[in-house]
Amino acid sequence: MSDVSVTLDEETTLEEARGTGTSTVARVAKYAAFRLVILFFAVVVAIYLTVLIANMGGYVDEIRRGEIRNAISLQIYMSEDPELKKLSSAEKKELVDRRVTIEEKRRGLDQPFIIRSFAFLKNALTLNLGFAEDMMSDSGSKQVRLILLERLPPTLILWGAGNILLFFFALFTGLYLSRNYGSFLDKLIVALVPTSSAPAWFYGLFLIIIFAGILQVLPFGGLVDAPPPSNKLLYALSVLKHLILPTSAIFISSIAISTFNRRVFFLIYSQEDYVEMAKAKGVSDRTIERRYILRPTLPPIITGFLLLVIAIWMGATILETVFNWPGLGQALFKAIGLFDTPVIVGSNVIYAYLLAATVFFLDFIYALVDPRVRIGEQGRKV
Amino acid sequence: MYKKLITIFGLLIVASLALAACQPEEVAPEKVIETVIVEKEGETIIETVEVEKEVVVEPTPEPVTRQGAWLDTVVFVEESSPDTAVTRLETGDIDVYAFSISDAPVADRIYESDQIDYYTSYGSYNEFTFNPVLEFEDGSLNPFGDPQFREAMHWLVDREYIAQEIAGGMARARWVPINFASADTARVADVIAQMEIKYAYDKEKAQEQVTERMEALGAEMADGVWTYNGEPVEIIGLIRTEDERKEIGDYLANQLEDLGFTVIRDYKTSAESQTCWVSQQPSSGCFSYYTGGWVTTQISRDEADAFATWYTPLGWGIPLWQAYDPSEELYEIADALVNSQFDTMEERNNMIREAMPLAMADNVRMFYFDGVGIAPIRSELSVAADLSGSVYGAALWPHTLRFKDRVGGEATVAMPSMLTEPWNPVDGSNWVYDMMPMRGAKGAAVYPDPFTGLYIPCRLESATVYAQEGLPIGKTMDWVSLEFVDEITVPADAWADWDAENQVFITAEERFEELPTAKTKVVMVYEEDFPENTTWHDGSPFSVADMVMGMIMSFDTAKEASSVFSEAYVPGLESFLSTFKGWRITSTDPVTVEYYTDAYSLDAENNINNFRAAFPNEGGLYAQGSAAWHNIVPAWLGEANGEMAFGPDKADKLEVDRTNYLAGPTLEAMKGYLETALADAVIPYEPTLGDYITEEEAVARYENLQAFVGRTGHMYLGTGAFYIQKAFPVEGTLILQRYPDYPDMADRYSRFAEAPIPEVLLDGPGEVAAGDEAVFDVFLDFKGEPYPNEDMDMVTYLVFDATGALAMKGDAEPVEDGQFQVTLDTSDLPAGSSKLAVISVSKRALIPVFEVFEFVVTE
Repeated sequence: MSDVSVTLDEETTLEEARGTGTSTVARVAKYAAFRLVILFFAVVVAIYLTVLIANMGGYVDEIRRGEIRNAISLQIYMSEDPELKKLSSAEKKELVDRRVTIEEKRRGLDQPFIIRSFAFLKNALTLNLGFAEDMMSDSGSKQVRLILLERLPPTLILWGAGNILLFFFALFTGLYLSRNYGSFLDKLIVALVPTSSAPAWFYGLFLIIIFAGILQVLPFGGLVDAPPPSNKLLYALSVLKHLILPTSAIFISSIAISTFNRRVFFLIYSQEDYVEMAKAKGVSDRTIERRYILRPTLPPIITGFLLLVIAIWMGATILETVFNWPGLGQALFKAIGLFDTPVIVGSNVIYAYLLAATVFFLDFIYALVDPRVRIGEQGRKV
Repeated sequence: MYKKLITIFGLLIVASLALAACQPEEVAPEKVIETVIVEKEGETIIETVEVEKEVVVEPTPEPVTRQGAWLDTVVFVEESSPDTAVTRLETGDIDVYAFSISDAPVADRIYESDQIDYYTSYGSYNEFTFNPVLEFEDGSLNPFGDPQFREAMHWLVDREYIAQEIAGGMARARWVPINFASADTARVADVIAQMEIKYAYDKEKAQEQVTERMEALGAEMADGVWTYNGEPVEIIGLIRTEDERKEIGDYLANQLEDLGFTVIRDYKTSAESQTCWVSQQPSSGCFSYYTGGWVTTQISRDEADAFATWYTPLGWGIPLWQAYDPSEELYEIADALVNSQFDTMEERNNMIREAMPLAMADNVRMFYFDGVGIAPIRSELSVAADLSGSVYGAALWPHTLRFKDRVGGEATVAMPSMLTEPWNPVDGSNWVYDMMPMRGAKGAAVYPDPFTGLYIPCRLESATVYAQEGLPIGKTMDWVSLEFVDEITVPADAWADWDAENQVFITAEERFEELPTAKTKVVMVYEEDFPENTTWHDGSPFSVADMVMGMIMSFDTAKEASSVFSEAYVPGLESFLSTFKGWRITSTDPVTVEYYTDAYSLDAENNINNFRAAFPNEGGLYAQGSAAWHNIVPAWLGEANGEMAFGPDKADKLEVDRTNYLAGPTLEAMKGYLETALADAVIPYEPTLGDYITEEEAVARYENLQAFVGRTGHMYLGTGAFYIQKAFPVEGTLILQRYPDYPDMADRYSRFAEAPIPEVLLDGPGEVAAGDEAVFDVFLDFKGEPYPNEDMDMVTYLVFDATGALAMKGDAEPVEDGQFQVTLDTSDLPAGSSKLAVISVSKRALIPVFEVFEFVVTE
């Protein structure tokens, strides 16, 4: 989306950065307003582009018209119903035409795409997600809000469990390896990095074959046992059991590269001059790690974490399909296959808003966690 | 200690004696005289020999006392991957995969597994659609616009190669527009065989005819490439990518390139391809050939409309069909066939024989195979699978799915998707996979026979079809009577339409200026103890009011004055009214319903299923299932209040959700409307239904429904052998539980456990002197038992002489059960190797069995 336009000014002292009184509030407010305008503009552009892409610039209308006529023709001409079979060719054609007209009107195809595209944009920006064209929520509703919300909990569980586990494991292991550079474990992680070239679903297939197919100790997929336990505790345990394989797949596929990245990251920071200086002054290793290495690395770590959290919104299409996991990724994939613009736009508009909000708040979080970062004009020393 | 040992020893002896007494009695082998076919020195002969056979004493079967379904519980789950499904079947994670698998490697795994059985179905067929326009708008030549060029494609395409190699054996080569799994295949087997011989793969012949036609069209061959006006002749193959049609489309492209054409391969999915072959004028030139594919979920009893449907503008009303220009002769026969302008079946069959070669020569559609699909099931279970609709399309699955060795138990059925659309009986989901669990719950008065497509009774005792003299209607089963009459006048008091404003039926007398006649009248007599023997799943008794409500709704939803009106239903009602003349309930003990219409099916049995209020199988009392009047009411009130809608059109228009009886926001709203209905003792359409429903009954029913919703969490009611115990939409799971009050015994449909397709063996002389009479035996059996002759619909034969020409045809003569005979006068047969092809069709399973016997005719 948009770049983060926070200026890092290492020369500015802490006292200067804090500013004083109302001037600081005004500066922050002005900066925040400016950022909001920029981000909103970026969201508008992104959403409209999504609308255009999801509709292939209006070509989807042609596809829909073809599908409608084909489906209705099949119902009328290929029916075994003697009432329909008895109709003459002209009567059948008239019947098809009338039903096609009704159906096209229902789907808004009686209006030009360009007009509908702005309606899509307006609804999206006001978070009026409306109704899907074909897709249904699992409980049978066409409200885009429900389609997405129903799939959110399973995705949160899977991606939350997988990625958060992965994030913190990689973070602390990376830190450990940076401290133990050249150790056996360090060399092992470096050697295992190529294993991360395969996606999670690839490992998922193997895990299914081994643990579900051969050993038969874990389920093939799904969210919960069938039939689902009526007791809530048993239900939760069943979900946990079903979570093991997909979470493991996510973990296995990314653990080596994530740990390696963190390790390199910490190694670079641990070789900064001020770290060397602290070491020379005899500051303890723990203090160096906490104050001189970990703290300056917090902004990128927080950025990575927050982006990872909002990425949960988009789910993981193939992994969810392999494990038959009823998540957002599967829903979005289905929507793309059906050219269901409201669902595609709805999903993307929420992601866009989440991303914009994340970017916006990150500016402030940076300023809070890193004393070198300042917000607003005083910090701009380009 | 010693005493204890003696006691234990004694007890062991007693126990072993008792166990021995339980063993089956040893029976000495019995000597029987059998006629067997043996091979001696390469020659097949029949001998009578004495053989010893072990006598198996079958235990006397215990009488079945269980009502309703064999199984206690059926759990439906989703599994989108056939490959994974097979693994899950092998591990016992699922018991049935309700999907028709046509992928050869997956099918091989099933064939090889000793833990999995399977059911074969014949529901799909593929063809090449040719663009009939000779010159596209840009002036380029489309050789497929020339009928003789199109005809040459028959010889260019090796159908057997496609079926065996590309489809991996999961298909049967097909030449003609008639489905293999249809009654008509056997009726006109002679002309089908002729077409197969005439259009057998012959690439040289194809090349000759293509060359001749291309030159006639003004094209030239330059450097091995066909050109027209100096430009290469480009053929655009619109090739579907989802299945084996990608390879098949490529195969045709390769064959055409071999002949010197430049082929552009345009790979597209279903949705993308429709923008071309459905939406555009064929003259736009967006395709030259298209790899079409079709599916049918029901065994076809009548294929007479195939010619009009596939070769003439009488087919679909889209630009492609309107560009068809068949010969006048073909058009006339196709038109006559589709409009049933024949008096006898023989006349009709002869018309098909005439149309067939004309259609094959025209060849705007070139059929090349009937797909074969298999539905896997764990070997300890069995089910009555439909020969066309497989397991997921089998109406009788609720009554026949069972463990072979025990009664009861739980089975898990996986399917590629489920709960795809909202479930509501008026206009809810009709997805094939949703229909399977729906069939388990809804119940019906008749079911289609899974092997013949003819309807068999469930709640009906008998039916009589009165047909106007001269209509080509026949009957097969005893439970239906067929009578031909000179004229059928619709009675004045028959209900012929609906007055939505006053909520009363319009009688025939009121609708028509003078009482009309109808082509058929169907009288349906229900079981003596119906409707008392039938209850809805909430315990409410079934009543005639439920049938009347179903009929009212089918009119009312298309009437503007109605609170549940939707304009989407208007065209459907108008076409229905164009043939519907009236109906009435003539008795309530036993319940007897009469139905008058101009529409009819060729089979008397299948005229029973055409009337919704008669509680038929397909659909049910409503278009998409059955429902009691009282569980329609909450949704009916909700729609009247603009909060939900039965159909998608109205739901979209009002921007509300489509009514869903299983889950979601509309179900929550319906619970509120149920309370309103209970509080107000609502009787819907009171001016009419007030005659059938009392206030007390209404209150009792609403209370039953409320209790049911409390137990199950949903509002979907049926009268079937299972009820929906719980739906878990997000988890993709549906639980069906046996309904203990279902009136029929569990074994009522046990005879449908396996398709009784006869096994056929031909025997006769390997060598015949020309002029001699030759007698050939046709042995038919099923599971080792002779096939009863009365169960055979036809055993016909064709004889092809040494030149491959059809020399004679006829019907085999019955000798005794399981044996027919063909007697040939060979005087006209030339010397050489001749073939006797016998086509056998059972009345109990509509799959024709072809068997060929070769013999040599000597001088």
